[in-house]
Amino acid sequence: MATIKIDGREIPFEQGDTIIRAAHRAGIDIPHYCWHPGLSVAANCRMCLVEVLPPPGRPAMQLDILRWDAEKKDYVPARKPKLIPSCQQACAPGMEVLSESSEHVEEARAAVQELLLLNHPVDCPICDQAGECRLQDYWLEHQRTGKRMKQEVVHKPKGVVFGPTIVYDAERCIICTRCVRFTAEVAQDPVLSVRERGNLNEIVVSPGRELDHDYTLMTEHVCPVGALTSSDFRFKARVWFLRSARTVCQGCSTGCNAYLDYDPRSNTPHRHRPRDNEAVNKYWMCDEGMLSYRRAVENRLLSGLVGGEEASLDDALEAAKDQLAGLKDDPSRVAIVLSAQHSNEDNFALLKLGRTFIGAKDFYVSGKPLGRGDKILMSEDKNPNTRGVMQLAGSPAPKPIAALLDAIKAGKYSFVIALGADIEVDTQNAKSALSKLKGVVTMAAHDGALVQAAHIVLAACAWAETDGTFVNKQGLSQRSERALTPRGEARPAWELVARLGKELGYAMTEKTLADVRRAMAPEARSESGPNAGRADAGKPEVSA
Amino acid sequence: MEPLDRDLEEGLLELPSEPMMLNMGPSHPAMHGTVRIVLELSGEMIQKADVQIGYLHRGFEKMCERGTWSQIFPYVDRCNYVSPMLNNVGFALAVEKMLGVTVPERCQYYRVVLGELARLCDHMICSGAMCMELGAFTPFLYFARAREIIWDIFEEETGARVTHSFGRVGGMASPPSKFFKEMVRAGVPRVLEFINEGEKLLLKNRIFLDRLEGVGVMPKEDALALGWTGIVLRASGVPYDVRRAHPYLVYDRMEFDVPVGTTGDNYDRFMCRQEEIRQTARIIEQALDQMPDEGPINIDDPRIILPPKNEVYTTIEATIQHFKIVMEGIKVPAGECYSYTEAGNGELGFYLVSDGSGTPYRCRIRPPCFATTQGLQQLITGLMIPDVVPTFGSLNMIGGECDH
Repeated sequence: MATIKIDGREIPFEQGDTIIRAAHRAGIDIPHYCWHPGLSVAANCRMCLVEVLPPPGRPAMQLDILRWDAEKKDYVPARKPKLIPSCQQACAPGMEVLSESSEHVEEARAAVQELLLLNHPVDCPICDQAGECRLQDYWLEHQRTGKRMKQEVVHKPKGVVFGPTIVYDAERCIICTRCVRFTAEVAQDPVLSVRERGNLNEIVVSPGRELDHDYTLMTEHVCPVGALTSSDFRFKARVWFLRSARTVCQGCSTGCNAYLDYDPRSNTPHRHRPRDNEAVNKYWMCDEGMLSYRRAVENRLLSGLVGGEEASLDDALEAAKDQLAGLKDDPSRVAIVLSAQHSNEDNFALLKLGRTFIGAKDFYVSGKPLGRGDKILMSEDKNPNTRGVMQLAGSPAPKPIAALLDAIKAGKYSFVIALGADIEVDTQNAKSALSKLKGVVTMAAHDGALVQAAHIVLAACAWAETDGTFVNKQGLSQRSERALTPRGEARPAWELVARLGKELGYAMTEKTLADVRRAMAPEARSESGPNAGRADAGKPEVSA
Repeated sequence: MEPLDRDLEEGLLELPSEPMMLNMGPSHPAMHGTVRIVLELSGEMIQKADVQIGYLHRGFEKMCERGTWSQIFPYVDRCNYVSPMLNNVGFALAVEKMLGVTVPERCQYYRVVLGELARLCDHMICSGAMCMELGAFTPFLYFARAREIIWDIFEEETGARVTHSFGRVGGMASPPSKFFKEMVRAGVPRVLEFINEGEKLLLKNRIFLDRLEGVGVMPKEDALALGWTGIVLRASGVPYDVRRAHPYLVYDRMEFDVPVGTTGDNYDRFMCRQEEIRQTARIIEQALDQMPDEGPINIDDPRIILPPKNEVYTTIEATIQHFKIVMEGIKVPAGECYSYTEAGNGELGFYLVSDGSGTPYRCRIRPPCFATTQGLQQLITGLMIPDVVPTFGSLNMIGGECDH
């Protein structure tokens, strides 16, 4: 493979690579603001300037300049090499690039950084970006000088509302145009553009429009400074107090890789942001997915329910034992409902209880109804693990809830053991059908139709509170890490299943998640999946 | 309570008797903080002594692994709370050693003067407390009055009388005040007057001398084996002083004598301490003469030193600099180092490990008192109970340093 040299280190490149992309792939960080691996090249920030040495035997391209001579107290003529933006320059075999080892490059970076901070407001103490801001990082790495300009800085609009989710601060903006390019190229809705020139320019929304498509929060995420802020996250937390867990978005069957940022002190989630994965979501997530972190705390079940009254887990299990007492007489009168909202581990445990121990014949699958999809990331199937459940259950495939309700009306079942709260059909219908049965036990993390219809409910952990494996619509099984400690009395659903099984007198021996995973087929627990190890090997921070 | 040793050869005693167990401390006026000595007595003779530290425990080393490098200064203040400035300087030097930076000359002199002033306080309070515990209250009041002079200087310079937290990585919190030299030059002779007055009351006093001379003897070899440093080691006849053996800051430019004892008893320790007070005054005088009046106090590196506050509030560059140092901490290169200085009671060492982040990966302290205190058991075994008081007093055990 052809190679180039950066600061004497040889790195390979692919046909069509720019210098910065080859460096990025090799783990060399060339400082940049406007370049983003998933967007077109703008080359407007000039932070990634590098010195490219001329081919052997050719003179270097030099510029005549005047350099300040402190001794003579005057400008003297000098020459310096023409620097080249590494985000725009394509690699050529044998090319020699000087990045950190060139004093001209260091000088240029310091100058660019000084220019970008020239009119920047003193906002770090109130800026959401502080702590993960390129301006701060690069000042320390490349500038390290104080302000020389004595004049008042240019003032521009602050707190401009771009739409329901984004607030813009023109003073902090460095006009890198990442947000403009994102809306045009990825979201396919070119609603942002740049107005004015020089130090008066600012980002504006098209007249008569708002920034209101499905990917608005991504503009905040790609913003390298604090110009675009999310109204959801604004002033809620300081990033250096947050920890990140590598999770999989639960919004739909695309299974976008995400970081769930949470405050460990208060056990509160604060935001979802994309985690790079070329095979799934590249660098992006939709608004719905980014805001879905709230589901970890909203509408949660915090304790068990027996007949609608709160009950401890032990009491609920005791009640479940009594109610399901007749279940061993005729396994064919038991229906097991799996959940496309729950992980492979949870479903596997229930499948094992139903198939191996109870001997049930009929399996159903619960989940959210179909929703809106698009051609970018959003899927119509709003359940993160539909494919995983289908793979685990094998044939005959689990039937939808509508079929369960029909069968109940036909008097086929006396008992239902269900996982998950959501169903795709009318809630009232389901309630009236299920409530007539002898025993209905539901394990769920959130309130929902199956919870309201159940006689006994066991509170389960939400995805953010436990590790789990989810299979997206492409068939990639991906692991999601635990971020929070369980709220209330919630326990992981696989554990609830195991304890219920034990209560009913079966030899459910699973004590840890590792026990459950060992019993599962290798492809279902993601070690050998095509995306094996991806969720575990991710870098802690996105570097783009 | 269980006796510590049940194998007493009772046949050798004239009258068979059970050894008596006695608790000294942890709350006892002569226990300098919270040390407990479990004594096994035969009559009034100490047959066995078990010295127990740990009643003052804050988890100093663990605390250091939480904050940034700069946030450790208040903690080291409270290791030896009798001479916090020496600890401040010692820790600053350790971090600077890891960073590979040296503070400007003016700051080095400033650190020497402030540190030696703290040493004066340390020695005076030790000697004074020891006298007081032996019943001589007046010298203690004299010495406390002298300490007041030094504390006034500290208050003027640092804003605090006891725990200053004045050291900074790469410099000091603020430059010397306008009248710093005048204040010290006027103050130190007055301190020495008080010292002389106090000594006059003690050194010809039969009771005082009887309780010191020949009591609590520590042979040279044992002192070395116990890891003793500082005055207690020098009193046993080993002339080891870090300032002389491994000069740091500007101590190599100072002329001073290292007082050495002959027998290593309480009297030697007392006298070495008194003599060192005078040597310290000499160092202060020389340092003041050599110290430049102009010039920077802090090194010139925005990665280490905080920007001036008025710039932090008005310019973004200084805000960022402030933010990076305060929120993320000074980035100390990955590695480890052992840095040691002569503190009030001997060699104060810091063994630091950095993983390259703004927080110490490990901060181990080698406090002089920890080693000194472990020799107490040997010193008092075979003595009488009243001898515990001056012997323990002459070691100058500081509870905060045994938190380790």
